[in-house]
Amino acid sequence: MRKRTLPKVKNTPKIKRERDPLPWRYCLLTLICGFVLVVGFFFAARQHFSSIEYGIKNSKLKNQLEEVVAEKRRLVLEKEISLTPAEIKKAAKKLGLIESANENVESYQPNQAKNNKVVAEKTGEKKSLESKPKQLVSNIVENKPAKVEKDLKQSEKSSEPKVFSKTGR
Amino acid sequence: MRKTTKKANRQKKINPMQTAFTRFMLIVAFFVFWIGGIGARLVYLQINRHEDYRAKALNQRRDLVKETQLRGTIYDRNGRALAMSVNVKSLVANPSEIEDVEGTAKEIAKVLKIKPNEILKTLKDGKENNKKFVWLARKLDEDAADNLNKTLEQKDLDKSSLPKFKGLYWREEQKRSYPYQTLAAHVVGFSNSEDVGSAGIEQSQDDILHGAVFKGWQDRDRLGRVYDESETERELPNDVVLTLSHSIQYKTEKALEKAVKNSNAKSGMAVVLDVKTSQVLAMANYPTFNPNKYTEFEPESYTNRAVHDIYSPGSVFKLVTYGAALQENLIEPEGVVNCGNGVLKIPGREILDKHCRNSISYTEAMAVSSNIAAMKTGFALGKERFHGYAQKFGFGSPVGIELPAEANGILRPPTRWQGDSLASMSIGYEIGVTVLQVVTAYAIIANDGVRIQPHIIKEIRHADGKISLTEAQKTQVVSQDSARNLRKMMREVVLKGTGKRAQLNGYSSAGKTGTAWKYNAKLKKIDSGKYVSSFIGMAPAENPSVVIAIVMDEPQVGGRDGGQVSAPVFREIAEQILPEMNVLPEAVAREENLTAEQQIPVEEIDVPKDEEAKNSIIADEVDKSNKIDKKAVSLKSVTETKSGKIDKKTSENEKPKETKKESKSNESDKKSAKPKTAGLTNEKPKNKSSGDVKNKT
Repeated sequence: MRKRTLPKVKNTPKIKRERDPLPWRYCLLTLICGFVLVVGFFFAARQHFSSIEYGIKNSKLKNQLEEVVAEKRRLVLEKEISLTPAEIKKAAKKLGLIESANENVESYQPNQAKNNKVVAEKTGEKKSLESKPKQLVSNIVENKPAKVEKDLKQSEKSSEPKVFSKTGR
Repeated sequence: MRKTTKKANRQKKINPMQTAFTRFMLIVAFFVFWIGGIGARLVYLQINRHEDYRAKALNQRRDLVKETQLRGTIYDRNGRALAMSVNVKSLVANPSEIEDVEGTAKEIAKVLKIKPNEILKTLKDGKENNKKFVWLARKLDEDAADNLNKTLEQKDLDKSSLPKFKGLYWREEQKRSYPYQTLAAHVVGFSNSEDVGSAGIEQSQDDILHGAVFKGWQDRDRLGRVYDESETERELPNDVVLTLSHSIQYKTEKALEKAVKNSNAKSGMAVVLDVKTSQVLAMANYPTFNPNKYTEFEPESYTNRAVHDIYSPGSVFKLVTYGAALQENLIEPEGVVNCGNGVLKIPGREILDKHCRNSISYTEAMAVSSNIAAMKTGFALGKERFHGYAQKFGFGSPVGIELPAEANGILRPPTRWQGDSLASMSIGYEIGVTVLQVVTAYAIIANDGVRIQPHIIKEIRHADGKISLTEAQKTQVVSQDSARNLRKMMREVVLKGTGKRAQLNGYSSAGKTGTAWKYNAKLKKIDSGKYVSSFIGMAPAENPSVVIAIVMDEPQVGGRDGGQVSAPVFREIAEQILPEMNVLPEAVAREENLTAEQQIPVEEIDVPKDEEAKNSIIADEVDKSNKIDKKAVSLKSVTETKSGKIDKKTSENEKPKETKKESKSNESDKKSAKPKTAGLTNEKPKNKSSGDVKNKT
């Protein structure tokens, strides 16, 4: 078997391969992405739990609002009840007021009506029916006694109806 | 030797890296299979079993919420709440979660101050039957609920909701409250325990008032805290504003109550109508009921008799007779009618009239409520025209108010009238009306002949802020002149006639009295001791602002006439409410110390037996109508005969009967009368709910 001698390796200039920068970039990118991903997950988780927390708070506030509205409604009802005639009567009784019977209530009569009576007495007309007052009014206009005329003017000046009632024994 | 060396070399050649790689790959393969298996399982679960597990997951954390909105509020015209709902809590239990049933029952009973037996029985039954929901206490107020929450607190219990007691829960409900209690109870009505309107406006406007049920869901965490919720679009309930004034209603009710008690009447009705708008300012019935405790009252008391009950109006119906004749220019107020010595012969009958023995004017005839004059006026009109005007005035058909169970009334077509029907109807016989129909007819005259459809709903307030106003229809029924003439005639009724007690202090008034007999359904004949006395009036007479109808059923004490019993109620109400309505007072004063015997013509009633047949038919019709409306309670028919006597000659097919002599003052006028089969009508008065409000925004 013949020995073969390999030719000596000549001192050829070394072939320098340029290092590929990509792996490092990839690593960096991967790291960054990973970091972003982790941070994203972190924030997402935080947002999620935060939303749950806010949801719970929101629900509580909603309940509170509903309770307040319901309470307001109850108070309105209480107010309405307290304004009813029955409750006012109770309150009046507590204050010592006495309910007057209708017989003791004297309705206010307008000046004209009183004047009519006066004139009727003066003119000698007998007041028997309600139709008379009309005639009496015409009498007032025709005769116009000074005092009556003055009263009439005063009554005409008052634009709003005046109706009073007073209790008496 | 050489083989041994080879083996050794071969062993030396086993590369440990290779071994590690192989092992690594095995592990990887294992994980791949494992993950693959998991993946396959996940694919199966998430695709094939998706719906099942989704439902399970939702069921675990999500609650379906069903909630009913609070029922809308009913206000009066001044914004005072007549009916409103509030939230209340009901205590419910899951008996399967409760271990110490007896102890729990005792504690709950102690707080609620009730006997524990009932709660114990409920819990025991629930536990034995493995129930998961039982009611323990319903519709508790806020104080009671708070007290229970504080008392029943198990501090070591991990529970988010109150009460912190195992197995006990609150359930939100609503409670309907009527703050004014009996005030306008028949108009407002009530809603039952299921919050469904059962009477009055509550019933007719149930769709508007009813709070919509909305569905939603709530996500809860492991502690039961709600962290997310959603709801479908909720339709909020609307509020109803009535035309009633709580103040006028109160005054009306008080006056009516006093009058019913004083006269020892069976019942009373009163309606106050604003003339210019036909808004019902007050509608009162006595006896009344408290809608807060409606179960404690008889169902009969729920009926709004002012719109549901039919009765024969009697003399108050003469408004139609004279109104139609004035409109047709057949009569004039000062025109003279000859009563022929107080006797009028009509086919088969003879009418006696004490008040009209000679010639009197139509105004006087109306003032003293002459029957012969009214009948002659009716004859002049004729059947068709009389019937037409009765319809135009609104009789025989429902008024159309927004209240349930409104009666049509009874008005037969002329083809079904008998020989004396026109005469009878001219004075208010053979016809059935409601109080609301009568007051509406009088409002036409008060409003210069214009009929405005009465309404009791002023507006509907929607949840979104929109307001629907009720629009009333207007119709000219009689001319302005006719209406004014008729008002003058009615003024004389108050000044000189049967309605003197309706004179007001400070205001002029006009009106007409009516006194009616009642029909006894059991005896199948007129009951001589029972009347319906009415007065329908308006004030001021010249330019009326208000029409008031007072109808008293079976007054026993202090007179029987409408002028004696009902006119003073009119006076009391009118004198109180006119100043409140800012009506300027006039220069008039009422006569004091009036006595019926001396100054007021007394309405005389003398009912011939033969009217009983007619009345029985009216009663049957009313009974039919009342049966139709099961919710509303039936009322008895009432019939009226008026002053003057209606006698009838014997007809061939009928047996003679004696005339009933009722009035002491009329004893001398007793005459025999003969029965007559007088079919009224076979029409069924339809009691239909007129709840549909035609609103225009």
